[in-house]
Amino acid sequence: MSIKAAPLHQKFVTPNLWILLFFMGSGAVFAYFRFFHGFGSVTNLNPAYPFGVWIAFDVACGVALAAGGFTTAAIVEIFGRDKYHALVRPAILTAFIGYFLVGLAVFFDLGKYYNIWHALVYWNGTSVLFEVAWCVMLYLSVLAIENLPNVVEQFKGNVRLPGPLAALNGLADWLLHRLDWFCNKTMAFFVIAGVVLSFGHQSSLGTMMLIAPYKLHELWYTPLSPLLFLTSAVSVGIPMVVFEGTLAAKFFGRKPETELLSGIAKYIPLFLGTYLLLRVGDLAYRGVLASAFDGSLQGNAFLLEFALFAVPYFLLKRRKIRRNPTTLFLCSLSVILAVVLNRFNVFLIGMDMGPEWSYFPSVGEWAVTFAFVAFGVLLYKIAVNYLPILEKEH
Amino acid sequence: MDISRRKFLKITAAAGGTAACSVATPAQARGPKEPDPNWYGMLNDSTRCIGCKACQVACKKENKLEAESTLGDREQFGQPIYDSPRSLSENTYTLIKLHRDEQSGETTFVKRQCMHCVDAACQSACIVGALKKQPNGAVKYDADMCMGCRYCMVACPFNIPQFEWQKAIPSIKKCTLCSETRLDKGQPTACTSACPAGAITFGKRNDLLQIARERIAAEPGRYAETIYGEHEVGGTGVFYLSKKKVSYAALGLPDFDYRPVSGLTESIQHRIFQYFIPPIAVYGVLGAIMVYNQRRKKNAGIEGGDDEY
Ligand code: SF4
Ligand code: SF4
Repeated sequence: MSIKAAPLHQKFVTPNLWILLFFMGSGAVFAYFRFFHGFGSVTNLNPAYPFGVWIAFDVACGVALAAGGFTTAAIVEIFGRDKYHALVRPAILTAFIGYFLVGLAVFFDLGKYYNIWHALVYWNGTSVLFEVAWCVMLYLSVLAIENLPNVVEQFKGNVRLPGPLAALNGLADWLLHRLDWFCNKTMAFFVIAGVVLSFGHQSSLGTMMLIAPYKLHELWYTPLSPLLFLTSAVSVGIPMVVFEGTLAAKFFGRKPETELLSGIAKYIPLFLGTYLLLRVGDLAYRGVLASAFDGSLQGNAFLLEFALFAVPYFLLKRRKIRRNPTTLFLCSLSVILAVVLNRFNVFLIGMDMGPEWSYFPSVGEWAVTFAFVAFGVLLYKIAVNYLPILEKEH
Repeated sequence: MDISRRKFLKITAAAGGTAACSVATPAQARGPKEPDPNWYGMLNDSTRCIGCKACQVACKKENKLEAESTLGDREQFGQPIYDSPRSLSENTYTLIKLHRDEQSGETTFVKRQCMHCVDAACQSACIVGALKKQPNGAVKYDADMCMGCRYCMVACPFNIPQFEWQKAIPSIKKCTLCSETRLDKGQPTACTSACPAGAITFGKRNDLLQIARERIAAEPGRYAETIYGEHEVGGTGVFYLSKKKVSYAALGLPDFDYRPVSGLTESIQHRIFQYFIPPIAVYGVLGAIMVYNQRRKKNAGIEGGDDEY
């Protein structure tokens, strides 16, 4: 590759930074109450809705939206479409940030968070959550390794620790050289491992709510759910890359990578089509299509979800739409919203716990969720500013 | 020959990625769990319950549970209400509620508590195995083990496990079948001992079924024909009898299937991890594709670059 990725080294303190910090600050206030005064002081969770927006969005959507990482890695590194190489690093970085935040969110949501390590020690193989937890941990480690080259590249032969730490310069540099060697030798292994773990993880999230046959609405309760979760995650991978690429270009004042993005976007209809085929086939096979039109909240939520999936599928088949940055962005946004709504449907809206119970996330729950998103954006901002993630404009 | 062919087919199926994402058939990962004749349980005869709530009070005392104020219901009812709680909670392990069967108009008092399922969904779901069926039949919760993920609450078809929403370090709470405080000492559960109407019977699972059958046979005009819990969700440790004209569903005991609710998740899990063959197969296939593509490019002299398509 002739073009190299490089740190942006832009001015870091911008008005946007203050907005991010504001969100994080308000989330932290509610987090204080959650940790010291119980869930009741912050959330609207109740006995019938033990999982709320923290699981539905921060975890279920977080994992799905991190799919840009493994889909791009698979397309470029495994299927050898090298011309999209520039998209890999930012995608892997966002996946890492995404999974990191998922881990953090789980920590917030666990009643006994200090027991989180129990998942490593006490195994209950019949629990879907057990697999979910292991995949998060393993894939997060793999993503960390996949991001190592960025650090190595930036600092190898260039370690300048401040003040008295300077004595360690030699050691750190030696370490970086070893890491570089290690990464070069083993990266292929980790790239594939990342894809396999993602397969496992995306699908096991689809298995989770299948433990509740009498609670989850029939539009979403299907043995095909793991496969649907996986294929929808694959479908949202490239739209996420488009989404982030477009926004990053806008906020960092760079030229949008329209050429690359609209090129890789040609795969979206392929993935979306596969998903839609499975989804419709499953509904028809189980004969539950009618309940989509019964006017209930669940039925309508399904119709909206379906439209958000189907419309971009038909639009993105047209070359003209893919080549226009605005329509491409909007279509990608639609797929993203579709997947988000789908996860909400499975984890919240489609869970009917009887007439006495209802749940709507409280202000505090939203605040914490927004804080996570803001934190993610901040991490991204830091990373692209100081590490070689984005390629130089060409 | 046959075995190796089947294995081969399995691997190819896995390689196709299908098995990895596991399109599970409704088949079970393991056979149904057989109830152990030594498991203790209870029989709630709703036709006998007089709604005195003595069992509720006894349960609170036995488990040292705080009294609950329902004064907060001013919002909902326009005035404070001084009555017993309206749902199970972290402070209420058992609850008497009045139900009306819309069809016959009959009203019935019904006791609710953990059913101590034979094939407990909570046990299947718990990530760390904090909920476990004990040799005495109680599904026991271990607070030190629990991570507080609340997946057990999602899984339980009866919505039994409760969470301490008001505590900084919350635990799951539910009926213990008085396992440690009484069963281990050879005593029946506290609610059984407290009931003045003989509506609760304590005993071993098989004996309880026997008693229930005898009652139905003796007074067929009084009782519904079936015993709730004998088969529902794979069988439970707590049974119910209902009045002839009152359906179980009207008592808040849903018309559940006989299969345990964890059947589907467990079979999918099982498929994904069967000797790790599916993930390894996917790994192998992806690796092969990667190697193939790199070779091809090397041969075509476009290493690191891209080709036409
Ligand atoms: S009733 Fe619910 S909590 Fe009790 S044993 Fe059955 S699944 Fe577990
Ligand atoms: S909340 Fe505790 S007992 Fe319930 S599933 Fe999670 S770890 Fe297990």
